[in-house]
Amino acid sequence: MIYIPVKTLDIYHNFALEYYLASEKRFSEPVFLLWSTTPTVMLGKYQDALAELNLEYIRQHQINVVRRYSGGGTIYTDEGGDQFTFIQPDNQQMIDFKAYINTIATALNQMQIPAIATSRNDLTVNDRKISGSAQYKHNGFTVHHGSLLFNTNLEQMYDALHVDNLKLRSKHIASILERTMNIQTIRPDLTNQSFAAELQRHVLATVANLRTYQLTGAELDRIDIIAKEKFADPQFIYGHTPTTELSKKHYFKGGGLVKFDLTVKHGVLTELHLSGDFFSSLDQHTLAKSLLGHPFRPDQVRPILIQQLQQQPILGISADDLLALLFS
Amino acid sequence: MLKEVHMPKLSPKSDEYFFGSWLKEPGDTVKTGDILFEVETDKVISEVQSQEDGVLKEQKVAEGDATKVGDLVATIEVN
Repeated sequence: MIYIPVKTLDIYHNFALEYYLASEKRFSEPVFLLWSTTPTVMLGKYQDALAELNLEYIRQHQINVVRRYSGGGTIYTDEGGDQFTFIQPDNQQMIDFKAYINTIATALNQMQIPAIATSRNDLTVNDRKISGSAQYKHNGFTVHHGSLLFNTNLEQMYDALHVDNLKLRSKHIASILERTMNIQTIRPDLTNQSFAAELQRHVLATVANLRTYQLTGAELDRIDIIAKEKFADPQFIYGHTPTTELSKKHYFKGGGLVKFDLTVKHGVLTELHLSGDFFSSLDQHTLAKSLLGHPFRPDQVRPILIQQLQQQPILGISADDLLALLFS
Repeated sequence: MLKEVHMPKLSPKSDEYFFGSWLKEPGDTVKTGDILFEVETDKVISEVQSQEDGVLKEQKVAEGDATKVGDLVATIEVN
């Protein structure tokens, strides 16, 4: 096995590294990576960003949004979590998770963390999830990657991923905290750094013919290009879903009811209807005309809303109120 | 001669897959080993390759459809 140290928390770079190893470098031996990220939400390959994410919260908290090449659901990670990746040549079409997951479970067990693999290929401790995994198969290689919760901000995870009623928030957070767990709660003696170092040591101790490979400057440059072209491309992240139809309404105290019905195609706003009993001379056709054809993302919509409301204000409702309604 | 492409079994656990995307369009030349389409099952994205040399005649499944193992997915005109 080859171990490659990962020196950045940049999710776009790290996903590009995985892709580079599977598509271009193509080592004949399995490769193992252990890495982390700054606060990031990761969509599954075919998920809809608008349906999965609270994009306004994500904008306010400067959380990265990235789309994986693998399947499965949306996850939140940060410096308190660890990502592991196995990349190896694989000409089998049949899916197999066990070998990868068992390697991580065994290492955790040796660290007095009683992790068990479930039928959904998650790792749990006392029935609470500490890790999930996903894979993609590309050009004769399997990329298996997974996420471990060590000291992840679980409240931020909830806020970034969940789109629902504020009144239910505390109840739902309680239920998330019942179903997931940070490993640090059972190994409070470990820090983020010492956990990662221990995990790396235990995984690598099980491996025959281990060697460490350092990426060259030229390889890092190539990985940066892949990161920009593929993983950081807004069209890939937001424009992947053919059509999303959304209806959002909210009663603003002192402002009235505002309702938006809208259609987004490949990330671009194509239809918008505004209705409600708010007080304004804002013409809904003018508003729609100003927004249609733009990428439907908070950073794109916000300046237009601000400009429109400067010209035709709505009594008691700000542009940021409308932004929160559209994207939360 | 027209050859049928059926959904292969990819997962030991499941026979129902999400049809992700086409990588070849009708009229495209395909060679054995070329990737025809991509499916998702059990959190895994798999590429399915052509077993034939020819021209993709018809796509029988749309992106976003649910498909089952054995379903007719495409036809390929081979010489």
